Amino acid sequence: MVRFAAALRRHGVPVTPEHVTDGVRALEHLDLADRDEVRTGLRAVFAGRPEDFTIFDRVFDAFWRVATEADRVAEALAPPALPEHAPPGLERAGRETLALEAWQDDGDGDAGDEPVGVPAASELEALAARDFSTFSPDQLEEVLRVTLKIARRLARRISRRRRPSARRGRIDLRRTLRANLTRGELIDLRYRRRKRKKVRLVLLCDVSGSMDLYSRFLLQFLFALQSAFSRVETFTFSVRLTRVTDYLRARSYREVLRRLTAVRDWSGGTKIGESLAEFNRGWPALVDRRTIVIILSDGWDTGHPDVLAAELLRIKRRAGRVIWLNPLLGSASYQPLTRGMQAALPHVDVFAPVHNLESLEALVRHLAL
Amino acid sequence: MRDEIRKIQQLMEAADYVTDAPVATSVHLATTLRKPLLIEGHAGVGKTEIAKVMARMLGTNLIRLQCYEGLDAAVMLYEWNYQKQILHIKLHETSGRTASEEEREIFSEPFLLRRPLLQAITQIDQPPVLLVDEVDRSDEEAESFMLEVFSDWQVTIPEIGTIKATHPPHVVLTSNRTRELSDALRRRCLYLWIDYPDFDKEVRIVQLKVPQINQALAREVTRFMESLRRMRLAKVPGVAETLDWAHALAALHADHLDETLVSETIGTVRKDADDINRFRAEVAKSGLGPLLATP
Repeated sequence: MVRFAAALRRHGVPVTPEHVTDGVRALEHLDLADRDEVRTGLRAVFAGRPEDFTIFDRVFDAFWRVATEADRVAEALAPPALPEHAPPGLERAGRETLALEAWQDDGDGDAGDEPVGVPAASELEALAARDFSTFSPDQLEEVLRVTLKIARRLARRISRRRRPSARRGRIDLRRTLRANLTRGELIDLRYRRRKRKKVRLVLLCDVSGSMDLYSRFLLQFLFALQSAFSRVETFTFSVRLTRVTDYLRARSYREVLRRLTAVRDWSGGTKIGESLAEFNRGWPALVDRRTIVIILSDGWDTGHPDVLAAELLRIKRRAGRVIWLNPLLGSASYQPLTRGMQAALPHVDVFAPVHNLESLEALVRHLAL
Repeated sequence: MRDEIRKIQQLMEAADYVTDAPVATSVHLATTLRKPLLIEGHAGVGKTEIAKVMARMLGTNLIRLQCYEGLDAAVMLYEWNYQKQILHIKLHETSGRTASEEEREIFSEPFLLRRPLLQAITQIDQPPVLLVDEVDRSDEEAESFMLEVFSDWQVTIPEIGTIKATHPPHVVLTSNRTRELSDALRRRCLYLWIDYPDFDKEVRIVQLKVPQINQALAREVTRFMESLRRMRLAKVPGVAETLDWAHALAALHADHLDETLVSETIGTVRKDADDINRFRAEVAKSGLGPLLATP
C-alpha cells in the first residue's frame, strides 16, 4: 500500500499518510479477489476529485497487473498517455508542450516568493508603459515581481470595499439580551450588520495562438491574482475550456508552468463562444451578482459570433460585472472590428486594454461592485 | 463481491434507490471506516438521495444541514432561544433573583436551540446520518469550522461546557463543484463521483419511481433524455428531470411519445427559454425520430 501510494504521489495525486492507513483499513473490508471492488474502494480513498480518476486507474492497472518491483511499474507508466479528449493531431500537441516548456526554462528561479527588492522608480516607470509583447524573456522575472505587487493592491481593494449603510442593520438579540440582563426590558439595543456576500473573481483567459505574445504575461497576472486573493476561479481557453484554478495554486510560478504543461490546448485556434458555452454549462453556479467576470482575449474567434453573443449575454445576466480586457486595445490604431469582438461588445460592461503594467494597475477602477 | 456490499446494494434497492457497485462500495466503506463520504456529480443525479437512503437503510435519523453563502455557527451549531429567554426574564422580574442566578437559568439547556451539527452529536440511541448538502456553497470559514467538528466530534458552548458526541454520526457531504473545496476537506473524506446513469440504469430508476407508466414509454423517455444530454444545452437535465417528466406523462395517461405530447410537456425537462426554442427548432426540422434513436 505504501508503494502504491508512492506511485500515485509520483504521478501528482496528493496522497497523505492518512490515505495510506485508510487504504489498508479499506482492504480489510473489501473482497480482495474482486479486482473491480478493490479498484472502486481504493479510488474512493485515494482519488479526491474526478480529474484524478484517469491517473488513479492507470497507476492501479500498472501496479496490480503483476506484483513486481517498483521500477518495472515506473517503466510501464513512462509514456504519458494522452487524455482521450485531447485534440487530434499529436504533432501539434507536441509543439504546444514544447512552447510551454521553453517558458519554463527562461522563467528561472522561484519567482513566486515575496518580492525582495522593489525596482527603482525610474526603472519601474520604464517597465510600466512598455507593451508586453516587447519584453525579452530575461525580464520575465522582474515583470512578475511588479505584477504580484499590483495583484496584491487589487486584491486589497476588492476585499476592503464596504458600503456604509443608512440603516443600522438588524438587532443582534444575543448581545442585546446580554446587555439588558438585569433590566427586564430591552432598552439598550445592540445591532449587527448583515454579513455582506464577498466578491468573487472569475477569470477566463484566452491562450490561443494569436495571444501567444501576451499569454505568458497574462498568465503571470492570473497567478499573481490567485495568490493574492482567495476567491478566484481561473479558466484558460482556446478551442476548449480548462479550469486551472488548482494549477495556479502553487508556491512558485515555475511550479505553475510545470503543472500547466498538462493542459494541452495551448496556442491552438480560438473558439470563444464554444468555450464560454462550456463554462456556462459546467459551472453555472459560479457566477452571481457578487461575481466579477474578466475575459482576457483579443477577440479573434473562429466560431460563430452569434454563439459568442448569446453565451456572453447569459453570463452578463447573472454576473455583477463583465470586463473584457483586450491586449490589442493598447495600440492607438486598433479598432475592435473582428466579428467576435463586435458581437461581444454590447454585452460587456467594461472594455479595457491589457497590454502593459500600467493597464493592469488601471484595473483598480473597475474592480468593485 | 463482498456479502456486505451486496447486502448494502440490496438494502438500497429495497429503499427505492437504484444503485451500482461503486456507490455500494463507497457507502460500505464510509460506514465501516466511519469516514465522511464526499459525493460530487452533476445536478440531479441523486447525490442527496444517497444520504436519505443510507438513513433508511441503517434505520436511523437523517439530519440535514443545507449550506449557503454566509452560513455561520449560529445556524450550524446552536443558538439561544431569545424569545423564550425574554419571556422568562419578564415572568420572574419580581422574584428578586440576582443577575447571575438569572443568567445561569436562562443560559441552560431548555433555552438552547439545537442546530443540525449539535443535533447530530447529541442523538441518544444510535448514530444518525448527517447530510451536509451543497457544501460548496458555504464559505471557506464555514467549511473549516465543520472540519473541526468532524475531527473530534465535540463542541464547546461557553455557557454550558463541552458536549461530546454520544454516537458520532455518519456524514455525507454533497457538492456541485461550484467552488473548489479545500484539500483538507478532501483528505478527510472518502470520495464518490456520480455520473449520469447509463441507459439501463435510468430505465430501472424510472420504472421503480414511476411504476404507473409502461416499460415501452419508460424506455422512450430515457432514450429521449440521453439524446437531450448530448445536445449540449445550457442546462443539462438530470435524473430528477427525467422523473418529473415521467410523472407528468403518467398523469396524462400517455402510453407513447408523440410531437404534441412532447412539446406540451417539455417544460418539465427544459428550464431555459433558449434551450426550449433550440429544441423546438430541432424537432420542427427533423421530428422526434433522431431523438428516440439508439445511438
